[in-house]
Order: sequence, then structure tokens, then C-alpha cells
Amino acid sequence: MLPANYDLAALWRGRAKDFRNEIKPYIRYMAMSGFPSFLSLIFIASAIGYFTLLRDVPPDFPIVLIGVLVLMPVLCWSPMRTYLAGADVVYLMPREYEMGPYLRSSFQRTTVKSVLLAAVVMLLYMPIYRQVGTGSGIEWLVFAAIVIKGANAAGGWQERKLAWNNMRLLLRSVRWLLTGLTLAVWLTSAPWQAMLFTLLCAGLATLCYRLPQRHRFPWERLIAEETVTRRRYYAFFGLFIDVPVLPSSIRRRAYLSWILPRIPFAHRYTFNYLFSATLFRSEIGGILIRILMLGALVNYMVADAASLLGWVTAFVYGLFGIVFSLQLGGLRSVHRYSVWKHVYPLPDDKQTEQLIQVDRLALAAGLLLLWVPAAVPLLLKGIIAPPVVMLVGALAYLAIRPMRLRRKIKSDADED
Amino acid sequence: METILSVKQLTGGYSPRRPVLHDLNFELKAGEMVGLIGLNGAGKSTTIKHILGLMNPHQGQIKVAGVTLNESPQQYRSAFAYVPETPVLFDEMTVEEHLRLSGMAYNVPSGDYEEQASKLLEQYQMVPKRKAFSSHLSKGMKQKVMIMSALLASPPLYIIDEPFLGLDPLGIRSLLDQLVEVKRGGAAILMSSHILSTVEAYCDRYIVMHQGRIAAQGDLEDVRRAAGLDAGSGTLEDAFYKLVSGGAS
Repeated sequence: MLPANYDLAALWRGRAKDFRNEIKPYIRYMAMSGFPSFLSLIFIASAIGYFTLLRDVPPDFPIVLIGVLVLMPVLCWSPMRTYLAGADVVYLMPREYEMGPYLRSSFQRTTVKSVLLAAVVMLLYMPIYRQVGTGSGIEWLVFAAIVIKGANAAGGWQERKLAWNNMRLLLRSVRWLLTGLTLAVWLTSAPWQAMLFTLLCAGLATLCYRLPQRHRFPWERLIAEETVTRRRYYAFFGLFIDVPVLPSSIRRRAYLSWILPRIPFAHRYTFNYLFSATLFRSEIGGILIRILMLGALVNYMVADAASLLGWVTAFVYGLFGIVFSLQLGGLRSVHRYSVWKHVYPLPDDKQTEQLIQVDRLALAAGLLLLWVPAAVPLLLKGIIAPPVVMLVGALAYLAIRPMRLRRKIKSDADED
Repeated sequence: METILSVKQLTGGYSPRRPVLHDLNFELKAGEMVGLIGLNGAGKSTTIKHILGLMNPHQGQIKVAGVTLNESPQQYRSAFAYVPETPVLFDEMTVEEHLRLSGMAYNVPSGDYEEQASKLLEQYQMVPKRKAFSSHLSKGMKQKVMIMSALLASPPLYIIDEPFLGLDPLGIRSLLDQLVEVKRGGAAILMSSHILSTVEAYCDRYIVMHQGRIAAQGDLEDVRRAAGLDAGSGTLEDAFYKLVSGGAS
């Protein structure tokens, strides 16, 4: 147990500093990997697209829909870095009544970061809204964003205190929905109407949060959230260098895992089965789905604008394809140190081939799902060459990928 | 009787300069259950890791079903199922998916798999949990999944490391009953455990390890003799205590 006079706010600062020191070496590896150049490319491509749009915003630009889509996530997102760990239930819990300063440090630091992100998105959105928006004025929107952000931060904390997981998910969905609706009203109506609607939503949310059973201090939730955050950091750094393996976060994802029982029950599909389950349900699968959704949206928007005769779309498609394949490549490391990899009676080369099959299928599905929203708008406009080039590029990469993956797996095995 | 596992002059460990195991020699025949006992750090788990092929011997030879790992990795690995001391499950798979994976890995015929899996889920009271992810299971339930996966494979050799940790009384009973059954069916079982009364009641022979060496092996009479106890006097625990506390004459 910690000594009674130990300053808990200092403990938070110490833990935050330890974490920064812990990830410093990985940041160095990431910086040396060419990833910053890749980000710069994305930044330049996005900047060109943004300023092209800003110079000539189409009159039918879906400003409300885009406003809700880009502002809702950054206003709803209310993370909290607590740096709490499992052992704190033993060592810190006895001082639960003094945890106020610890939580305040945690809340302040993480809220500042999410507010900054929201401010950046607002700054990018406002110049477009000024040209085609018809709802409340800019100053009212800024006011609304501050209020909505504050309400979401408070709502996020209340959700963490809820005793039941299902209730938390339900209330989180309600919070996101109300935020989206409120934003839509602010972007389409007069300020007094929007204000009235906001007050109604706030009242409804407050009522909802009062109903379910709550914890006084949500130890388990905060520890679980901290674990997820750390895992995401390590999943990201794992793209560049070997990192400590943390227990993975699992989702059932029925919309994908219905495929599992359809994999034939046969010895030669053992690792197809295992790696498919891993792909569908692990953090890798979650990240790939998010990349696909974002990629499909961006590809569609860029393709709809048909800049530079569709070649900007081909470039953006290529970027998302690379990000997707890089992330998918993480699958090979998931069971690298599993005891069953050695104990199961299946030769190493068969295991490798089965992993490659899963990788190839997933990559083909991903590249196709990115291609459709990129190619269809262009084809409908009669632009043929970029969609064909994208397809040929994807097929060529699919053809060489197994060879590259096999080489990487072999090099991993040699290192081990 | 056919020899299923043979360990000859095994010396091994994590570093070639500091061996943990010293010159181990033992065999397991078909249809016998052998208890591997010793204090913490005696070398039981290291011995098991060598048999599994997770560690390379510094010297000596290990054969399972008549072959070494290098001679025929597939035949060697198909010949045993392993239940580790700490359950090692895939977080992303449910209970029944683990059984399916195990059935596929050990080439269990599809018809047998369905029947066996349902029977095992019933026996271990895991039917209500068959769709649960392993991360949502208690330690005892995880151990049950490990045991069911091993039993499903029906190999000639079972290597079981501390199987009773976290198991409820019904689970222990089911496991012991089934071990007796597979033994009758001709399988060999190497079981490491600290519950000496159970080991004494169920095992045919015992291997007592101490500081990386075999301090005694054989039936209860052989162990008593090695511990300096009179014939027919004292339990396995008495003999074990004498052997590891340096009280043997």
C-alpha cells in the first residue's frame, strides 16, 4: 500500500512520465521507418484536396451531413488516460477517497488533447460552412461546440461509472445519437431553436444517466480502458518494431465470424481457422474495418470530385491500400510465440501457407472494398483509365504479396 | 507393452552452461499413468518442455511413439496432447471453437468430433459456456477447455502439468475418471502434480524429481525404498518428504 502522505497527483504525473519514457524508443523506430514521410504525403494530398474544395465549393455540397460526420466523432470522443493498472486494486484502492486529484490530473490532460483535436476539425470545417452553410452563425457554432464537448466529457465520465456493460454501450450510443442530432439542428436552424433542442437533449441525457446502477469509483472500467489504450499504442508501434505482446482486445463481430463454421473441418485448414478467428475478432480486425470505412468514404468523396481526371483518386486508393496491407501484415506476429504453434502436429511450412491464404483473401477483399467506392463514381462519369490502373495495381500487389510475406515470416523465424 | 515415451540421459536447461536437468532416464509404457512429482523448481516443467520439443536437450534423446522430433516432427507431435500448468487459450476463440481447432489439428474424423465434443461439454458442465470467449472464463473453466481439447485428440500419450489447479471438485472427478478410461484404452499419461494423495491413488508409477535429478522412480515400494522407509510403511507423501528434505538414509 502507498504511504498515507503520498501525493496522488504526483503519482499520476510520475506514471505519465514513465509511459512517455517507455514509448520513446518506439517513437524513434517509427520516425526512422519512413512513416513520417508517408504521413507527409497524406497531409499534402489532403491539403491539395481541401484547398481545391475551398476554392470552389459546389452549391450542392452536403455541408450538414459532412458537418455531422466530421464533428460528431471529435466532439463525442472523451478519452481518459488514468495509467491505472490491475495492481492498483490492491495498492491504490485503500485510498479511493483521496483519488480526486489523481482523476483531475487525468481528466484535465486528456480533455485538453481532445479539445485541441476538435478545435482543429472546427477550424477546417468553418471556412466551408461559411460559404454554403445556412444554419446558425459561426460564433454560435463555436459556442455550441464548446457546450457539446463539455456535455460529452461529463457524459463519458458518467458512462464509466455505470455498473452494467450493456447499459454503458446503450447510453454511449444515445450520447452519440443526441450529439449528431444536436449538431444537425445547429447546422440547419436558427440559434434559439437549436439552443432549445440542445437543452431538451441535455435534459434527456441527464435523466438517462440517473436511472441505472452506478459504481462510486469505476476501478475495473478505468483499468480496462487504460489497458485498451496501451494496447493500441503497442499495436501501432508493432508495425515498425517488435514490441511487448499485450493481451488482445476481442469483439465477437458476428457479421464476420459467421464465416468461421464454414471453414471445412479438416487438418489442412487448422491454421486457416485460427488466423481467420484472429483476423475477425482481434484488434487488427477492428483497425482494418475502420481503415476500410474511412478509406471508402474518402475514396468516394475524392472520386466524386474527379480531380485531375480521377488520378487523385488513384493516388488516394493506393495510400489506403498500403495502410490496409501494412496493418494486415500484423497478423503474422499474433501467434508467433504461441506454444500451440509448436505443439500442434502441423509442419511449419503448412502453417505459413495457411496464414498466407488468409492474408491473401483478406487483402483481396479489402482492396476490392476500397476499389468499388473509388472506381464506380469515376466509371459513371465515363473516366476509365484510373479505375483500370487501380485494379491492375491491386492485382499485381496481390500476386507478389505472398512471396514478400513468406520472406518476412522466414526472417522472423530466423530471428527467433 | 509398447513404449510410448522414452527419455534417455537427458541433460538440458535454458543455458548450455547451466543445465537444469541432469541425466534423466525414464520410460512410459502404453496403458500406464506416471506421476511426476517434485518441489517447485525441481525441473518438472522443464522436463515437460523438453518432451514437448519447446526446448532442445543439451544431451540425450527423447522419443515419442518411437521417433525423435527431428526424425518425424509430424508423427512426434501427433502422438501427444498437452495440458499446460497455466491454461493457454486463444482469446479470440470460444470454448467450442477451441475444441474444433483441436479436432482439426489432431485430425479427428468429423463424425467422431461432433459426438466427442458434445460428450465432453456435458461431462465438464460446459454446455452453457460453449459460446463464451476464453477471456470470459474463470481459471478453472479455462483449465477444463485445455483438458477437453487434450481428451478430444485421443493421442497415445497425455502430458498433463498440474491439472487440478483451479478445477472444481466435479471437474477433478471427471478428469480422474477420464484419465482412468483413456489409460484402460491403452494411452500413457505423464502427470505432474503436487496433490500427492491423488497421485498415489491413481498413478501406477512415480518419478520423484529433486534439484533437476531423478531422486527415485518406480512403484510405491521402490520410492519407499529409495527414501529409506520400511517396506509397506508410509505414504507417497512420507517418502517424498524424506527424499526432498534430505532425510533419506
